[in-house]
Formats: sequence, C-alpha cells, structure tokens
Amino acid sequence: MCLSDRGLFSGYTAGPFYDEMFHSPGCARSHYARLFEKLGVMAPTQFEDRRKHADLSFLLQGITFTVYSDGRGTERLFPFDLIPRILPQSEWARIEAGLSQRVVALNLFLQDVYGKQLIIKDRKIPASLVYSCRHFRREMIGLEVPRGIYTHVCGIDLVRDSATGEFLVLEDNVRTPSGISYVLENRLVMTRTFPEAFQEHEVLPVNHYPAELSRILRTLSPRTEPDSQIVLLTPGIHNSAYFEHSFLAQQMGIELVEGRDLIVDGVVVYMKTIYGLKRVDVIYRRVDDDFLDPLCFRSDSMLGVPGLMGAYRAGNVALANTPGNGVADDKAIYAHVPTMIRYYLDQDPTLRTVDTYLCDRTDHLSHVLSNLPNLVVKSVGESGGYGMLMGPSAARAEIEAFREKILAEPRNYIAQPIVPLSVVPSYDSAAQCMAGRHVDLRPYCLYDGQKVTIVPGGLTRVALEPGSLVVNSSQGGGSKDTWILRGEC
Amino acid sequence: MLSRIADSLFWLARYIGRAEDTARILDVTFYTLLEQIQQPHGVRWDPILSMAGEETLFRQLYTEPTAHNVFEFLAFNANNPSSIMQCFTKARENARTIRDRISREMWEDLNGLYFTLGRFDPQEETAAGPHRFCGRVIFGSHRFHGVSDATLPHDEGWEFLRVGWALERAEMTARLIDVQYRNLLALNSSGAIADNHQWMAVLKSVGAYEAYHRQYHSPIEPARVAEMLILNSQHPRSIRYCVTEMQAGLRAISNTAPGSYANEAERLTGKVLERLRYSRIDEILDDGLHAYLTGLIHMFNTIGEVIARTYFYYAAVA
Repeated sequence: MCLSDRGLFSGYTAGPFYDEMFHSPGCARSHYARLFEKLGVMAPTQFEDRRKHADLSFLLQGITFTVYSDGRGTERLFPFDLIPRILPQSEWARIEAGLSQRVVALNLFLQDVYGKQLIIKDRKIPASLVYSCRHFRREMIGLEVPRGIYTHVCGIDLVRDSATGEFLVLEDNVRTPSGISYVLENRLVMTRTFPEAFQEHEVLPVNHYPAELSRILRTLSPRTEPDSQIVLLTPGIHNSAYFEHSFLAQQMGIELVEGRDLIVDGVVVYMKTIYGLKRVDVIYRRVDDDFLDPLCFRSDSMLGVPGLMGAYRAGNVALANTPGNGVADDKAIYAHVPTMIRYYLDQDPTLRTVDTYLCDRTDHLSHVLSNLPNLVVKSVGESGGYGMLMGPSAARAEIEAFREKILAEPRNYIAQPIVPLSVVPSYDSAAQCMAGRHVDLRPYCLYDGQKVTIVPGGLTRVALEPGSLVVNSSQGGGSKDTWILRGEC
Repeated sequence: MLSRIADSLFWLARYIGRAEDTARILDVTFYTLLEQIQQPHGVRWDPILSMAGEETLFRQLYTEPTAHNVFEFLAFNANNPSSIMQCFTKARENARTIRDRISREMWEDLNGLYFTLGRFDPQEETAAGPHRFCGRVIFGSHRFHGVSDATLPHDEGWEFLRVGWALERAEMTARLIDVQYRNLLALNSSGAIADNHQWMAVLKSVGAYEAYHRQYHSPIEPARVAEMLILNSQHPRSIRYCVTEMQAGLRAISNTAPGSYANEAERLTGKVLERLRYSRIDEILDDGLHAYLTGLIHMFNTIGEVIARTYFYYAAVA
C-alpha cells in the first residue's frame, strides 16, 4: 500500500531502523495498509482532536503512575501514543509459542533450584551463580508450592532487532510484573477514540485477562469451599503501580488489601472486615518478597503481614507469584535460559536472546571493560530501567563511574551489545508531526501448571524522546495499543 | 467488606458533605453581609468562622476577618484542614484508595470535579466573590450523591456513605443554628439591629427558605426556623431527618429489626431520634437551645467514635 500524498506522514522517515509500519517511504506493510489509508487522509487538526480526547480520558480515569526520581512522588500520566503497534497473527503465533516454551522452562527451573537442583548437579548452571543471586530465597528450599506453580504471571520483554527483523527476548519479569492494566485501558480508550478503525480490522481481544487470572488464582486455594477468599495485596496508594492493583482487583471482583488489613492467627491468614475476621485463601501479592513478612524477610517492613510465610509454609494460604522467583529473572541467569529450555524440555529455544557478557567471568569482564562505550550495562537484580548504563549516549564520567562499580562488584553486572530497536511512527506533539520512535513489547503470560495463556499482543512501550532506546515509564517512556490482526494479511 | 474500606467510604461522604456545607454557608453569608456593611468585620464574620470550628487557626493566619480573607481561608487555604479544597483533596485521596470498591462513574466524577475545582484561581475568585466557586462545589456534591446513588450497589458500603453524609449534615445543621441563635440573641439584648436577614440566610444556606414559607405561611421567626431545622421530619437537612437516615443506615449494616439495636452506635442513635420525635420546639427553647444543641453535637461526635470502634478499629482476635 503506497500513497503519494502521505498527509500526516509527509516528511516521515524511520532512518536506519526497522520500521514496523512502512517497508519503504510512503509504502505501508500489508498489515498496516488499511490503517495508513485511513490516517493518510486525516487532517492534522482532526488527529489532534482525537489525541486530546484520549489524553483527557486517561486523566479523568486517573490512570497515572508515580515517579520517585523527583523526590516528591508525583502522579503522572503514562503518555499514550495513538498510532497502534500492529503484528499479523502469523508472526504472533511464533512469539506465543516461544514465550510459552520459555515460561514452562522458567517454572521447571524454579521447581528445580528450590528442589533437587538437578541442573546444578548436572553442571549446566554453576551453583555459585544461583546462590549469589540477590533474590534467591533459602527459605523456599524444599517447600512444596501449590500445584507446583511458581510463575503464575510473567511479563517477558521482547525487542525487534533492526539488523535482522527478528524478535529477541530482552529480559524476563517473573516476580511482580506490572503493566497489564495499561494494555486493557489503552484498548478501551483506543476503541473510543478510533471506533471506525476497529470496524475495518479484526483485532484480537485482550479483555479476558482478568477472568483468566482469577480462574488460575482460584485453583490455588487450599480449601475446596466454593467461596474461597482471593485477595490482591498492594503496598498501598503510594506505590507506582497502585492504579493497576485497584484496577485488577475491581476487574476480578476480589478485595484489594494492604498489609494492615490482614492478620495471621494460628498460622491462618484473616482479613479485618466490618463483621469481624474472615479467612483468606489465596493472595495475589504485588508486594516484593523483601516486604512480605517482617518475621521472615526484612524485619523493618511495614507493608507486609507478620507470620504470612508461616501460614504459607503450613499450606493454609497460597501466594502468587511464588516468593523466590527473582532467581529466575536475574539478568545473569537470563544468559542461561536457552540452556534451561534444552535441559528441561529437550527443545531448541524458539526465541533467541541477546548476547550477554557476565562480568564475573574474567574473559567476559575484560571484553566489557574495553568496550564500555558500545555496550549497555545492567545491574542484575534491578528492573524498571534503574541502575543501567547506555554506553553510546553516556558521558565519559558516567562510563568511568560504572567501570568502578563493575570492578567493585562484578557479579552484580552484565553487559550486552546495543540492540537497534525497531521503530513505529509516533506523534511528536512538540514538532506536530509523525516521527519514528523505538518500541519494545511486553506480553503477559499466565500459567496454570498445564498451559500458558497469553493475551494477544501485550504492552508496546515507546521511547518518546527522539533517539532514545529506553522505554520504561519511569524514564519518560509511553505506550501504544498493540493489535494482533486475525488471519493472513 | 474490609474495615479500612468502610472507614474510607464513611469519611469520603463526610469530607464531601463538609465541603458542601462550608460552600453553602460561605455563599449565603457573603451576599447577606454585603447588605450590612455598617457592621464591623468581626461582628459579621465571626459566626461563620466559629461554625467551621477554626477561629483560632484563622487568627493565626490572618489579621482581620474581612470578606476576602474569610473566603480565601474557608475555600482555598491549604493550611486549613477544613477548607473546601482540603476536604476535596482528602475525599479524592480516600476514593483513590478504594477505587476498586466504588463505581467507575463515582471515581471519574469525583476526580473530574477535583481537577475542575483545582483550576479555579484563588486570587481571581476571592476578587470575584464566592458564588461561582461555591455554586460549583454544591452542584458537584449533589451530582456525586446522584452518581453514587445510581451506580453503586446499595450494599453495606453504600450504607456507610449514607451514614457519613447524614452524620456530617446533622452536625453541621446543629452548629449552624447554635451559632446564629447565640449571635442574634446577643445582638438583640445589646439593642443592636434585630432583623431577620440572618435567619433568612440560615434558611437559604440549608436550602430550606422556600420550604419554610410553604410550611408556615408567615414571616420568619427564629423559633420556627429552629423548629424547621431541628424537628421537621421531611426536610433533608433537618437534624431529625438526618438522624433517621443514620438509624436506617446503621440498621441496614447490622441487619437489625426496628425496635431493637445491635450495638452502641445504634442505641445512641435511637435514643437521640426518640427525643427528636417527641420534643416540641417551645420545650427545647425553655430548657435552653444552646445547651440542647451542644448536647446534640457532643452526641454526634460520640456516635462517630463508636461507629469507628465497632466497625473500623476493633481489637482483632480470631
């Protein structure tokens, strides 16, 4: 689909990067053709009107997140870009298969490292690497978890490499991944803002996520009563993902509780209601391991519930995700996930990972130290784009500071070559034109112990700053609606 | 329902009710006093400050109770915990912590109102007078009631909202009558002007001016105004009506049959209501209105505390 008068897109170019929408200037890929036709004839003022309408709707619903970097914890809108990220179903099917394989392998890995540790005994993954993970929890060793599930909810970050056009796994998030609420809200706002576009495209729906999550949580209940009490445990209103916590609780029709609403008595968890104490069976917890139970983990935690881990150990309450999952999404362990897939499943990984240098390996370390300006360096236990060095855009002093940090604590760092991320046209409101902005994709995977369910698409995060490769909302990123189109295009 | 959520709903209603009451009193008093410029500031504005219960704080922040200062203080001042904007900030904060339990429409309505009020410029509004701002607050409060009524299931959560609204109104009406009555009696005995403008203002501020005339077909008399606002069984801002609402809400929460009570909050509410039902205004005036109203306000505070002890902060033992 090529147009000579490109309207909103006139002057647009993606530069040297893989463009998700166009295969050459003015010529849209087949799965973007109908949208391009529609938008190409839209006047800029019309587009601007739609954009304002969408922004207002996010503001009124209070769909905000909190940033801490400015010291005040300000509520901010998560910027939303109107041009959707579209993938054909054929491409999605491959991604889906690759993610399912990965989630099953990660779950088997967690069962193993907290169980018989065969992968260590067979010398596929070094014991020292596992035990030195900051989020490895000795308290979980030998504990049988409900239905053997650790990774109930995973958010796995994918990027498309401009060099090859291939999707790569960038990182796994198997502790308390967030962002699914934006997937659902983005879709809602998008259908209201561009209803006509949905009439012409068969976009696969995403809104069955809360029902599927709720179904999985219910299967974990230690009691067979049909009225098992499922709750979502939040750190509270000041947490950056609070909107999501309340959104999911509401969508699933379960109580949103804070630590102070729960008490443990006789190794059973109860919540304080107006009619007295009520037993709790399953906790979808969005509180980090460290803060879950001051008697077991950090004793200064005010967010958790004293005695919770005791009740969990006694089998009187189920937790999702399982404590101790952080050992599986450690960025050094990430380099070994292909090994896990081969070891546990006897399969080749469907999705490739990014080459990763482990700084505690001397051969890797020397390569990293002599190539810092060309690499991205990540702290292994962090997420959200914190504790990261982007070599090419970093100032010299910053690079030197990182060199010191790496040398002081090599196990804490990994390095990767910079992946030139693909771009999607995005509206630059300052310049009032379309511009190519880098994107990633975080699909959300739900695992019930038998099969992995993934809502089609996921969260496309976009780096709205020109040239930026960092898509995290805490670092100025925004998001887009993600469409998986049914059938062939 | 979680105790914390019930607590938040109860206070959500109270904060919005308080903001609305403040706006009503501010609006009506402001324009009534425009016609009485011969009085010194203090005489005119002190009653409204004592009604809000923040006289001391006002004296710390301002030198003189001018119309401008009082409006700024009661509507916008961030250091005044009962200012209209502070009430809305707290109401929104409460709603945000329980937004999974209120309807989406309620949250969006309150959040939108919060932003709308936030866009009013205090400088500009204090110069223009309170009508525009207060009108928006009163309308916003009514709309929030309506949206809540129409979109929230009428379960125990709804009943906590209802009790919160009723308790806040009952207390504010009691304060309003007490302050105005004391004040006007003082004016009369000192030989100052005795007209019924301020009583008109009282009736208008609770939206009972037209209702008064329909009921009494007579000029405004303080005793009748007091009767209307304390003992009337139908006016939604009379104390008796509010206490009836409180009782209905509390009974619905505990599922108690009429004629009995399940806890101390219900017993006290029932006791107050019986007195309101069987009292006559001349008896109340003979015994002393001030003492009577002070007793009621004290009782409302106690009921609020007992509700909290019964449902929100009980000692938890399994």
